[in-house]
Amino acid sequence: MLETDRNQLHKLVEEALPELDMVIGWGQSTDSFQTTPVFVRDAKQISQLTLGPFCSQNLTGYLVKPPALDAAPKEGAKPIGICVKGCDSRSLVALIQEKFLTRERVRIFGIPCRGTVDWNKVGKLVDLSNVKSATVEEDVLVVDDSQTTHRIKLEEVLARKCYGCRYPNPLIQDVTIGEPATPRSTSIESSYRDVDRLDAKPLEERLDFWQSELDRCIRCYACRNACPLCVCQDKCIIESREPRWLTQRVGIPEKFLFHFIHAMHLAGRCTGCGECERACPMDIPVTLIKEKLNKIMEERLGYSAGLDVEAVPPLLTFNPGDTEI
Amino acid sequence: MRIGVFVCSCGTNIAGTVDTKRVASEALSFADVVYATNYMYTCSEPGQQEIQKAITEHGLQGVVVAACSPRMHEPTFRRAVEKAGLNRYMFEMANIREHVSWIGTDKEANTRKALDLVRMAVAKLRFNAPLFSSKAPVNKRLLVIGGGVAGIQAALDCAEGGMDVVMVERKQYIGGKMAKLDKTFPTIDCSSCILGPKMVDVSQNEKITLYAASQIESINGYIGNFTVDIRKKATYVNWDACTGCGACVEKCPSKKAEDYFNEGLGQARAINIPFPQAIPKKAAIDAQFCRQLNGKKCGVCAKICPVKAIDFEMKDTIVTEKVGAIIVATGYDLFDYSVYGEYGGGRYPDVISGIQYERILSASGPFGGHIRRPSDGREPKDIVFISCVGSRDASVGRPYCSGICCMYIAKQAILTKDHMPESNSYVFYMDIRSPGKNYDEFVRRAQEEYGVQYIRGRVGKIYQRGDRMVVQGADTLLGVQVEVEADLVVLATGVESSSGAGELAEKLRISYDQYGFYMESHPKLRPVETNTAGVYLAGACQGPKDIPSSVAQGSAAASKVQSLFAHDTIETNPQVALVNERNCIACGKCIQVCPFGAIQWKELRGGIKKAEVLQTVCQGCGVCNATCPPKAIQLQHATDNQILAEVNELCA
Repeated sequence: MLETDRNQLHKLVEEALPELDMVIGWGQSTDSFQTTPVFVRDAKQISQLTLGPFCSQNLTGYLVKPPALDAAPKEGAKPIGICVKGCDSRSLVALIQEKFLTRERVRIFGIPCRGTVDWNKVGKLVDLSNVKSATVEEDVLVVDDSQTTHRIKLEEVLARKCYGCRYPNPLIQDVTIGEPATPRSTSIESSYRDVDRLDAKPLEERLDFWQSELDRCIRCYACRNACPLCVCQDKCIIESREPRWLTQRVGIPEKFLFHFIHAMHLAGRCTGCGECERACPMDIPVTLIKEKLNKIMEERLGYSAGLDVEAVPPLLTFNPGDTEI
Repeated sequence: MRIGVFVCSCGTNIAGTVDTKRVASEALSFADVVYATNYMYTCSEPGQQEIQKAITEHGLQGVVVAACSPRMHEPTFRRAVEKAGLNRYMFEMANIREHVSWIGTDKEANTRKALDLVRMAVAKLRFNAPLFSSKAPVNKRLLVIGGGVAGIQAALDCAEGGMDVVMVERKQYIGGKMAKLDKTFPTIDCSSCILGPKMVDVSQNEKITLYAASQIESINGYIGNFTVDIRKKATYVNWDACTGCGACVEKCPSKKAEDYFNEGLGQARAINIPFPQAIPKKAAIDAQFCRQLNGKKCGVCAKICPVKAIDFEMKDTIVTEKVGAIIVATGYDLFDYSVYGEYGGGRYPDVISGIQYERILSASGPFGGHIRRPSDGREPKDIVFISCVGSRDASVGRPYCSGICCMYIAKQAILTKDHMPESNSYVFYMDIRSPGKNYDEFVRRAQEEYGVQYIRGRVGKIYQRGDRMVVQGADTLLGVQVEVEADLVVLATGVESSSGAGELAEKLRISYDQYGFYMESHPKLRPVETNTAGVYLAGACQGPKDIPSSVAQGSAAASKVQSLFAHDTIETNPQVALVNERNCIACGKCIQVCPFGAIQWKELRGGIKKAEVLQTVCQGCGVCNATCPPKAIQLQHATDNQILAEVNELCA
């Protein structure tokens, strides 16, 4: 099935490429199992494009982040093609809502998603440094580490975000590749199980949890850089001296403040794509902080980010009569 | 920075529960503090001179006064430091009275808290920078919202002073509640005889532009320069042509329209001029009842109208007016008597409200000034008045006294006796509140000369017996239950805030209390000002009020406007948002959230976009600053660095 979908993607990209500036998609990385972003400008590159459960990256950040593509392109500029999964498409919606992109600026190749692999999880079962090949057979991940062939159920090694995913199919797209996927979750309750599990613990335990998690943070800002909606770039308040919110001191208070400022700046904007957590080299569940805020947004304000291009995020408007804030 | 700290004892107000001497001496150890002292009354003239002397002698560059709320005396001290050569924004105030001495009695704890507040003020001051006002021109036109007696008085006073006035009235006519009254207490002079000429003055004064049947759509701008959009509601009659001849009203076949002016006691035509002295005397169609507008064949009015003023296609229109000041005189509404189910208001036709009785008494009312029962048109003999219906009753959410009911009941009882010498009037009351000039004498006259029977006690129940009403209540002075059979019961419905008061307040950006009455700036010393500069209050929109007080407030608000308009320019407030263009990422979120439309795009060379604050429109609320992710937009005098400095001190 993957093969058929890949061929369809190649065919559709080939047809569209002459009208496009480029197509951003996933390609095989050098280590034989992970994918890497590829920027297809030439028909010869099309064969590099791939899809499937290894394509974990949310590519939409490349549309607004450096090496920046102009948010306001020059007149007559060709649109950019981009491959998106369900979760990635919500980032596009949010970026369009906030006018960082126009809908016409992008040609969207929508790819229904059955979950992406979290290699950190696989790494706990397999020595990733010796992997010869990794393939997917139906719902089984087959990894050959040159000694044994491991057969791992895909469902056991998916990214954390995938288990509560309500939108596996792109919400905004020009073409679809393959059959629609079935959502793993259909309700608020089943989408925020990790948040609920943590919330059920007493305050001290929660504090301990976050202290031990965030203590590992090295403030590399990979989470921030990976987030497609963290659009401040080199103006980020975290590194600003004027105003000076944070010093460069390495301490838990500074790490807390950084992560909570990051989360607050995404309140009502975060689409839960999980890029921050995927990018974290220290394996900190940083998306969980945003998930908590997302849950509050849904429960209190009935708002979920990245679903509707026309909607106004509740914290990006001012209504004096609002009784919920 | 060289900082001086002045700790006020405020007599014993602060010194009673705060060790002000210790606060001063410990403040000397704070960073940059080179001088600190304690004074009995820092706001007094010698107190201010003390500050000025210290500025010169110790070369102070910034001053902290630890005293009362900045609400009252911050301007005082700013002026004082300015006179001594400092910029007025190199001053900070720590509130150790309302926030400390008045709320706790533990002197040790209070002193610690006072020290914390002073430490925070010093920390903030270290990040202060001189700020400078600019000047903005004053548009010397006034907007009066509401055409009741308070608004009329304000408009006439200002027009008299040569100012252009725009009056907006939501109803089809001006005059407000007073226009519905028959006589007024305590002089029993005819309401329309004293109000009528003022209404005529409004319509004839060239300085006054009247928009009746109109509402405020939106208000933007600031003191001296407001832009107001007014929605002129479709009346389906071209008022420029209408002469008020009334031919259309006479011929209108739809005779079952709601008679709002007569409080539902009669029925009006779908096209109507509410009362003979109405200003403006123009007809308007009630779309709900008009046959033509409801798809039936009619158009009688259009055929009969001699000047062809009827326009069934008319739509609401928006007109824009620019003004420099606004007087809000939107008045009040009356409590819904049906809330008290036990009184049967709304269920029994002969249980009516005070304002309905007022219409019955009026010669222009539904019965031509003859007292009749609504049920059968019979003249009543026994009439019971019940006071405090929706006043002084926390159980219906109206714990306040409406202030006017005791008086209007006495008036109505006197008038009843005048109309029908054989009648008997009874008044059930809780207390009699008559604290006005000649008011108490008036109530006594009702009791002594007119034989009105006052029964002190609450009514428990009203029910029908035959064609009469039985009023059951307690006489708490005699300690007995009483039962009075009456032909007519008048419920003295209390005052509540005008419908839509809250929405208008949001548009005006003025505050209102839990009952919807607008908040004055200071309950004693700034009674007609609001906390939004350039917006003033008059009449019952601020709280229940009788006619003399409403008129007095109308004149008071007018005098405030006149003193504002005596200047050609006003100083703008420099405590507004400012964009640091270097940090602005042009995300536009500030533009999206600004409640005042004070931020716009600015294009730099090369088409680079940045946000820009319109200094004169910005109200300094700080929503943009809270929203801006890289904090490129900063509220002057409350910058992130200043607030962080305070927080750091508090957490240190």
